[in-house]
Amino acid sequence: MRVTLDASRCQGHGRCYEIADHIFTADDWGHSELLQAAVDGKDAELAAEAARACPEQAVIVEG
Amino acid sequence: MAYSDTTAAGDAAEEARFAEIAYRRSTNPVEYFTELRAQGPLAVGHNPRREVEVLNRADVEAVLRNTEVWSNAIPLMGSAEPVIPVGLDPPVHAEYRRLLDPAFSPRRMAALAPQVTAHANRLIDQFIAAGSVDFSQALAVPLPCSTFLDLLGIEQSELPRLLYWKDVMIHPAQLAGSFEAGQRLAAETAPVIYAYLYQTIADRRGKPGDDVISRLLEARFEGGRALSDNEIARCLFQLIGAGLDTVTISLECIFTYLATHPADRQMIVDDPETINNLIEELLRWESPVQPAVPRRATRDTEIAGCPIKAGTVVSPLVAAANIDPAVPGADSVDVRRGDKRHLAFGGGPHRCLGSHLARMELRVVVREWHKRIPQYGLREGYDVEWNCSRLRGVDHLQLQWDPAETVTEVSA
Repeated sequence: MRVTLDASRCQGHGRCYEIADHIFTADDWGHSELLQAAVDGKDAELAAEAARACPEQAVIVEG
Repeated sequence: MAYSDTTAAGDAAEEARFAEIAYRRSTNPVEYFTELRAQGPLAVGHNPRREVEVLNRADVEAVLRNTEVWSNAIPLMGSAEPVIPVGLDPPVHAEYRRLLDPAFSPRRMAALAPQVTAHANRLIDQFIAAGSVDFSQALAVPLPCSTFLDLLGIEQSELPRLLYWKDVMIHPAQLAGSFEAGQRLAAETAPVIYAYLYQTIADRRGKPGDDVISRLLEARFEGGRALSDNEIARCLFQLIGAGLDTVTISLECIFTYLATHPADRQMIVDDPETINNLIEELLRWESPVQPAVPRRATRDTEIAGCPIKAGTVVSPLVAAANIDPAVPGADSVDVRRGDKRHLAFGGGPHRCLGSHLARMELRVVVREWHKRIPQYGLREGYDVEWNCSRLRGVDHLQLQWDPAETVTEVSA
């Protein structure tokens, strides 16, 4: 599975890096940065949960 | 859609009608919003400000995100000038958020958590042996105010003054007796608050510390310009209006739910890891802050096919959007399921600046309380009375427990 983060949509809600702090991290403004684009197994589930939780729909998990 | 931009008529029948609506919306929001939604995607004539209320999830998201059509340049909380940053539009808004967001980032807020934990335990110490408490007045009101004073580097002795001012800003009608008298009180008090803020900023400039005011004094825009005292005061004014009651009412909503849902309470007592998820679901389901701040149409437009004239003010009701049945599962509450997407902190560029602060405070209080008072309920004979405000809370939530079932000493 592949994770994409649409930085133009991210508003710094911080849901993704709270749910999966090894896949996403916060920059100094609290906006998200992607640490890991390829995910499998448990990580794929966590990434999908982050995508569901994002109020801006800035996280996309495909593949 | 016809829309008149007049202020509220001081008509007694109208006031009674608005009071009835406010009662229903605060006491049983799910039933109220469901009924309203059945009449159409927009509601007109349901609040004294004459705002057009937006109910559905997709429409609320569109209003919050499309800042070209929907402007935030609307007077708020009695301030004569736009408050910063919520009263500004992009691209200027983003310049301020670049300076403000780092001061409210998750990392900064995590660093403040030990102080909030200490405040929570100090307050709990005062009533734990009594076996009952007015949760709202003894904990939910003072906790965010004490936290806020720490955040700004202001002495805790300023608490009473801050409490009064935030009430004027948020509940002027309640203090003054009517909507219109409240508007006057807010307009008269705003300059007094500003004068205090200017003095505080001037004092801090001479004696900087590790607090938000000092950080704003050090902050620089691209190009090197510093914030003026006026800009900092307008930020702080917004923080008082936005950062205190919102946390208070969220605590009241969460503890009212927990006091009346023992199985869910037991879940977080048995497994504190579930606290964050429970809080997210209750922020969604209870939506303590029912509307996002109003937006004004910059041009003729439409929402859900309804024409809207330029100049119309709309209220994006995130409380209604959060339970929109068009979103699968959104019309029921389940604190056990995974994260549900919600707009309790708004969305788009104006996403609540203090969302990381609020989450930290809510988690600390829920965690510390349940470590020490795991079993409790509503006080015997007490019926929950909701406050009839769009900032939906319980002004005197009465809780009761057996002191023999508490943990009186906090472990370090």
